[in-house]
Amino acid sequence: MNTLTRRSFLRATGATLALPLLESLLPRGAFAAAASGPRRMVCICTTLGINAENIFPKKAGRGYELTPYLEPLRELREDFTLFSGVAHPDVDGGHSSEVTFLSAAPHPKSPSFKNSISLDQFLLEKQPASTRFANLNLTTSNLQESLSVSRTGVMLPADDKPSVLFRRLFVNGTPAEVAAQTHRLAEGRSIMDLMGKEARRLQRRVSVHDGERLDEYFTSVREVEERLHKSQQWAAKPKPSVAAAPPVDIPGTADFAGQTRLMFDLMQLALANDSTRVITFRIQGQQAVPPVPGVKEGWHNLSHHGKDPEKLEQLHLIELEQMRLLAGFLAKLKATQENGASLLDLTSVLYGSNLGNASSHDTTNLPVILAGGGFPHGQYLAYDPTNNAPLCNLYVAMLRQHGIDAGKFASSRAMSLPDFQAA
Amino acid sequence: MATVGLIARAAEPAAAPLFQRNIAPFLETHCADCHDDTTQKGNFRVDTLAPDFAKADSVKQWEKVFDKVATGEMPPKKKTRPPQTETTALLGWIETQLKSGGAQRHAREGRAQRRRFNRIEFENTLRDLFGADIRVAAQLPEDGTSHGFSTVDEALTLSGVQMEKYLEAVDAALDTALGAAPPPPSKMRRFTYMTVDKSGQFERERFEIGKRLGKSVAIFSSNDQKPPWGIREFSAPVPGRYRIRVKANAYQSHGQPVAFQITSGFFFLLKGAPTQLVGYYSVPAGTPTVIEAEAQVQAARDSFQILPFGLPKMKVQGGVKEYAGRGWRCIGSRLKAHSTGSSGRRPAAPRCLEISIPPGPLRPISTASCGNLRRAPFRRPVAEADLAPYLALASAQWKKGALFEQAVRAGFKAILVSPHCLMLDSAPGRLDGYALASRLSYFLWSTMPDAPLFAAASTGELANPQKLHAQVERMLAHPKARAFTENFTAQWLALNQIDATTPDRQLYPEFDALLQFSLLRETRGFFDEVLRKDLSVLSFIDSDWAMLNQRLAEHYKLFAKDGAPPATGRYSSTVASAPLAADLDLQRVALPPGSHRGGLLTQGAVLKVSANGTTTSPVVRGVWLLERLLGSPVPPPPMNVAAIEPDIRGVTTIREMLDKHRAAEQCASCHNKIDPPGYALENYDVIGGFRERYRIVAAEEEPAKTAQGRNKKPQIRFKPGPAVDPSDKLPTGEAFHSLEEFKRLMLARPEPIVRGLTERLLIYSTGHGIEFADRATVSAIVADAKPGNYGLRSLIHAVVQSPTFLNK
Repeated sequence: MNTLTRRSFLRATGATLALPLLESLLPRGAFAAAASGPRRMVCICTTLGINAENIFPKKAGRGYELTPYLEPLRELREDFTLFSGVAHPDVDGGHSSEVTFLSAAPHPKSPSFKNSISLDQFLLEKQPASTRFANLNLTTSNLQESLSVSRTGVMLPADDKPSVLFRRLFVNGTPAEVAAQTHRLAEGRSIMDLMGKEARRLQRRVSVHDGERLDEYFTSVREVEERLHKSQQWAAKPKPSVAAAPPVDIPGTADFAGQTRLMFDLMQLALANDSTRVITFRIQGQQAVPPVPGVKEGWHNLSHHGKDPEKLEQLHLIELEQMRLLAGFLAKLKATQENGASLLDLTSVLYGSNLGNASSHDTTNLPVILAGGGFPHGQYLAYDPTNNAPLCNLYVAMLRQHGIDAGKFASSRAMSLPDFQAA
Repeated sequence: MATVGLIARAAEPAAAPLFQRNIAPFLETHCADCHDDTTQKGNFRVDTLAPDFAKADSVKQWEKVFDKVATGEMPPKKKTRPPQTETTALLGWIETQLKSGGAQRHAREGRAQRRRFNRIEFENTLRDLFGADIRVAAQLPEDGTSHGFSTVDEALTLSGVQMEKYLEAVDAALDTALGAAPPPPSKMRRFTYMTVDKSGQFERERFEIGKRLGKSVAIFSSNDQKPPWGIREFSAPVPGRYRIRVKANAYQSHGQPVAFQITSGFFFLLKGAPTQLVGYYSVPAGTPTVIEAEAQVQAARDSFQILPFGLPKMKVQGGVKEYAGRGWRCIGSRLKAHSTGSSGRRPAAPRCLEISIPPGPLRPISTASCGNLRRAPFRRPVAEADLAPYLALASAQWKKGALFEQAVRAGFKAILVSPHCLMLDSAPGRLDGYALASRLSYFLWSTMPDAPLFAAASTGELANPQKLHAQVERMLAHPKARAFTENFTAQWLALNQIDATTPDRQLYPEFDALLQFSLLRETRGFFDEVLRKDLSVLSFIDSDWAMLNQRLAEHYKLFAKDGAPPATGRYSSTVASAPLAADLDLQRVALPPGSHRGGLLTQGAVLKVSANGTTTSPVVRGVWLLERLLGSPVPPPPMNVAAIEPDIRGVTTIREMLDKHRAAEQCASCHNKIDPPGYALENYDVIGGFRERYRIVAAEEEPAKTAQGRNKKPQIRFKPGPAVDPSDKLPTGEAFHSLEEFKRLMLARPEPIVRGLTERLLIYSTGHGIEFADRATVSAIVADAKPGNYGLRSLIHAVVQSPTFLNK
């Protein structure tokens, strides 16, 4: 049995990953990756870039010097890898690239742009979820915009209210609410059943071209039916109870830090209670002036700093706050134990931006951090700034860590980024 | 897929031998040097190009070959030119193949694909079906766009998540229509709007921005920041519709009206909380006017805020007591907020949808119980058999023990998310009356046909061009046609991105919400005026009139006190009252000479969506102009070129940076096209103000000028920077030195402009991109429009009467 590699075991078990791995199957004295338990993935994008000067160290490698933005991550140094010189090939269009951070679909601003499946959805396609919530899509904006994109190119709506999310995750409904929900699910299923039949019936009467559309309709109906079916099963089971107090939503868009903190806390709770294993989180850069001491201008404006030193100074305050929040989230995951392993070692946390230089809307040289997930970390890997490495290479490595040997994802050209190897 | 194969075989016999004999050798001799498997210049290969005119991919490639060769762009000038006869033969062959391939495909499949509604259309449709104030668009995922529009088949894909959201939206709509719960009793409350602090002093007096005038208050500042001026005594008990009544007049304004804004939201703790605009209003001087508005309050605890506009942002100089400047006076006791019920229902409205429970013993549910929802969602007559499955669903629910209303409701829900209701469809070939009625209706109204249009569909009279013309006239005159102006301009001109940037407060302190509101109105109003009067679409390039209100005239520095144009002065603050009567409503105004205004290009909304809030880039604006007004799409830039990084310190101008860029040969081929229109707009800043120098940031200690000159406090940090140079030359070599000269050059070649807009109208209305086979239609429309000097209304009639519109 010991000759089995972990990877081949993962491949063989596929969807049954939820089962704890047998100790004897693991290579002895291995990396942190040997942590056992279900693997999680968290993908975070902050949409207004991260000022490169303050995050990237001068020298790459293991012994890099901490930069102002990495300072908050000092204690976690061995738990993350920093990448520079990565980008999505053919992704341009400034802010439009927010929607392709996890999908890498080319030219998001072109008039005929069509998005493609995002990393999280791809993972769920390959490994259907066995948790109450297949995934969570979160955002700090009130526009429901997420990072997650379906295979048909539709952006999946995101949750923006921590209080609502908390109720969905951890609060059981009253008997009347449960009854209403049960009725709603049953009614929904019978409607979807009829819609499926109607689509098929119509399909016989229309041209092939239109038939494709009805097929899409049919597939959507089936998806909903499946989801309703799963919800019916979960509706009968009680939700995990947590000691944490229900969060109170922060109105408005200005206080990104408060909103990010509430979401990070919920994410940790959801992962620790195994409510879900896949989370995307879009930290939306806003127009409003954030209540960060010393900041007087709106965040979006500051990101277009035009090299104005005073704007850069204020931007520094905002971005440093973001790094502190990230450090807090990672530390919390690290402190959470599950079957003798840290939750961070079981969770790949991708953190980055769709913009390299937000001031010029540049979509190359993206700042990217990968933390946890059982990878050997502790390095700063700098790739060619003029000929960037495809970020999807890293996504493929993340998928492999989940036991998915997709071979290729979107614009990937290799199984990982150079010098970054999965354990 | 099977059909595609069939067409390919059908097309092959005609295409193949000629291809082998004439076409392949041409491509081999003149194109393969650069476009074969080894070189693949521009990512294009001719060696793999098959004579297959059924597949969309290869059709696109052949179109590209046709266009490049026809315009003479290919083969490149440096290479040997092929003999003219060979070129003509090649073009003739491609044209024939593309046309016949397209015709065959259209006959079999139709040009446009069956598509679902976008969220605006869905909301409007539900609203018209129920005749109730239904708002569900915000809870549906944003729609994709294709060819620049979210009415296009390719963009309107469907997924499980969307289906789930549509179900939820229909549920919410039925709640509203059926009136799920009786509205709570509404209360009328009065507020003084005279918030006092702990010591009993009127707060605005303490902040020196207002004073008490007996039972009313006068306010002298438009500052909404410190502190936020919400009505503190009021806090909405539940979300819902509320009515607010304000009695106010302009104060010490020398007879001029004063505008104000009402917003709803949470104003007390945080800046930047989401607020919803209730509206802009204006009150004249003299006797107080009562303004009444109704608004949706999103959350419990929310309140209203009333904010005068156009007053100084700072506290008044020399104390409020003696202040004699312009103000806004509100009669305190007349301010009322009153709940009219929850969940967006209209007050006292009867149920819009009645479900009649059949008398006598309960029977399975029949069509009689389903009211007007029986047929309308299908937008065509429905056979009983087609309704049977929905009735069966309701009956089954009922048999399972659901209440009668609940059971019928499930049937409705199914109908509303069914492919019949949710998708626009028609059979290949010419549209029948009902399909044509729907296409017309979603084109001009963004909603379902009304009763007269349905009637016209049923009698078949829409097949008669005169009757069709009359229908279009009726529809354009209907208030619902506002949806066309709003939705078409939102997408065509990217006005839907007007909120995407907030102008830098240091550089553009004169920007405020009323300006943005007015800018949007201006462009819509301008489009409406051109549409209503059938003016030439070339007015979009230039006009000697504008649609303005007081705020816009002020912003554009158009009229000084005496009504004459002011002497040009940078950052001049000389503007006072424009010769405009009403202040918020738009008025058509003849532009004085030297106004630097006219057409769409000089309108602030357009100039704002093509800038980033801090700086402008000729590249971004050039692309915007080429793609949206000239119908000439620009290829994306190569990935290995860094974008230009703006510098607002005034060290380098954008031109210096761009010129370096353009000197490189690989950049020049596109930037020679892109940059000139962008440079022509360089005299216009990020909010449409005219500038001869860039504004740059000034250090704190430097004396900086203010934009309005009303405040003495040197809080604004900008100063005049490098001079603006709007000159450049077109790829054809013609030089220009100002936007006015550039416009003249554009107007000398009107066809591309009219063609571009015609294509956009066709795409928007038929929900499908322009294919090669449509080019003849477009050319014919453009040629026919010339004698009438390209009137917009006539153009819309021509689009509607064109075969492309009349066929699937």
